[in-house]
Amino acid sequence: MTRPPDLVYAVDERPPWGILIASAAQHIALMAVTLVFPIIIAREANLSGVQFLDLVSLSMLGLGVATVCFSLRSRYVGSGYLCGAAYTAIFLGPSLFAVRQGGLALVFGMTIVAGLVQLAVAPLLRRLRALLPSEIAGLVIAVVGLALAGLGVRYSLGIDAQHQRINPDYVIVAGISLAIMIVLNIWSKGYGRMFCVLIGMVAGYAASAVLGALDLTNVVPQQGLSLVRLPRLEHLNWSFDAVLVAPFAVAALAATLRAMGDVSNAQRLNDSDWVRPKFGSLAGGVAANGLAVVFCGLVGSCGLNTYSSSIGLSGATGVTSRSIGYAIGVGFVALAFVPAAAMVLAAMPLPVMGAALFFTAAFVFTSGLQMITARMLDARKNIVIGFSFAMAVVADVYHGALMGVPLVLQPIFGNSLVLGTFCAVVLNLIMRIGVRERVSIRLEPGGINREAAELFLAEHGARWAARRDVIRRATFGVVQVLEMLGDPPGGVEVEASFDEFNLDLRIRYRGTPLIIPERKPTPREVIASDDGETLLAGYLLRQSADRVHARASGDAAELTLHYDH
Amino acid sequence: MSNAALNIGQVRAGSVCIVTLAGRIDSTNANDVMAELTRLIGSGEKSILVDLGAVLYLTSAAFRALLVATDEAERQAARFALCNIAGHVRELFEMGGLLDAFAVHGSREEALKQFG
Repeated sequence: MTRPPDLVYAVDERPPWGILIASAAQHIALMAVTLVFPIIIAREANLSGVQFLDLVSLSMLGLGVATVCFSLRSRYVGSGYLCGAAYTAIFLGPSLFAVRQGGLALVFGMTIVAGLVQLAVAPLLRRLRALLPSEIAGLVIAVVGLALAGLGVRYSLGIDAQHQRINPDYVIVAGISLAIMIVLNIWSKGYGRMFCVLIGMVAGYAASAVLGALDLTNVVPQQGLSLVRLPRLEHLNWSFDAVLVAPFAVAALAATLRAMGDVSNAQRLNDSDWVRPKFGSLAGGVAANGLAVVFCGLVGSCGLNTYSSSIGLSGATGVTSRSIGYAIGVGFVALAFVPAAAMVLAAMPLPVMGAALFFTAAFVFTSGLQMITARMLDARKNIVIGFSFAMAVVADVYHGALMGVPLVLQPIFGNSLVLGTFCAVVLNLIMRIGVRERVSIRLEPGGINREAAELFLAEHGARWAARRDVIRRATFGVVQVLEMLGDPPGGVEVEASFDEFNLDLRIRYRGTPLIIPERKPTPREVIASDDGETLLAGYLLRQSADRVHARASGDAAELTLHYDH
Repeated sequence: MSNAALNIGQVRAGSVCIVTLAGRIDSTNANDVMAELTRLIGSGEKSILVDLGAVLYLTSAAFRALLVATDEAERQAARFALCNIAGHVRELFEMGGLLDAFAVHGSREEALKQFG
């Protein structure tokens, strides 16, 4: 793992107390935006003021416990990276249906089932890795970024289903908030960059108060608020319904994919040499997600997930220390017992939410694009990525029409992330048909065609969605070998075999084995004769490949170039 | 990698002769590069800057051509430097541990400042 130079605090580094607390507060403010989902469910269940307050407090407790679980670095639970938690639209559809069918008890019961599904899936992830290559993880992240940006715009402009009009006050608040975040992030250093989102959100609260967009009266119970209050568990009850297992299980699988994408992104932020997800960390993250969802069901809240915006915030500020995850956990648990804090966060003005979501979405979206474009893409992969991305957009554009599908399919068709990911996984499986992993090309004697060898590697590299840098090194290797061989009698055969972790090239010809020196030839040796150039060529081959092996049998020789992928 | 053929250009900045190489340099055309550079040195040029910014790709034959030119420049007491080595070409220089074998400048402007 190589520490990226622009990180301020890497995952294993612990910032000073002041920065730790302020960073945690910034994440808490951003994560609190997602309390809107349990609040929607509470409103649907017609909870009274006190019960509403209980549900919000317990939901904050859930966010705290979940963030600690996600960030833990242990063998079975936790991703090992700073990874915030969030209530999500993925569980909203099934939860709203459950609340209408059987009240909150059914929501809590089925949420436990969803968590158990994730716990069951976590150990299987390593076996499923061929189905989830990094370009699909990138797609998931890009789609999440797009969805967050869309939500951010909606909140910033004050648009809702009933009022398709822009609210000028919201635009002013969101504009101030967003402008502060951007200016601090781009043109300031140190604390300004590290806390740009928090400062922007505080300014947004202030602007909302001035413009009358901050209204706490709706969320404060009539009897007032005590300073410290233990959330009551009176409304807690659990029930189960077999009909709802399918939608909750699908939602759990979708949340699993998002968790995989988010943890992959957190890994990438902390490693300049990142090339593919580390599955131990992904499995730990998904197990943590399952455990946290079970916890939420047990204490009376709804399903949650990893939070892409939180990872985006880490990327924007360069602060990715795991210890901030623990501080967030402690912070949320403490806030769960302070009703006034819960209410201030629960009453966060929509344009403030919108600015924060829109700002962090930019970092989430571009992370996804970088993961996709690091791979070579041929027509098959273009179809997988392009169609799936389009379907994700379609899910939002034609949401009403797509929700006409049977209930069991609604978690797939009713959510852009789920539909996009589902398409990507299925199309990727289909497009694997006919992709050979061992291919060869014969280069005839009488003027070895090096360009044909280059084209051969470029085409198959794209079909395999191989890393660009690896194919570039492999192409150099083949061209350099062909240059060393000249025009051997009988021509040259180049064979390439590929899997997600290895690229092996075998170059066969008639002649003597090539010399691959371990020592770098001196400039004087290279200049002295053609033999010196051959030594340099061999040395370059050794340096460009991860392993080189030359052998001969009779007059047949073979050179093997291995590249880690 | 592109199949672009090699183009050798030449411009002058004061007393410095700037040779621009564009495309790919391998065993099929490395001798042309070597011949052009040694011709310039032989003709009495005392400051030669080779701009590799538009080179897409090179092999050991190209490195040898540049090393021969460096050696020839030393013998003729001429100044010889490379500039604009970036991307994949830089990777190859680094891979071969060859950056130390040449006078290397980040950009043309930086090199011209050094040449004075």
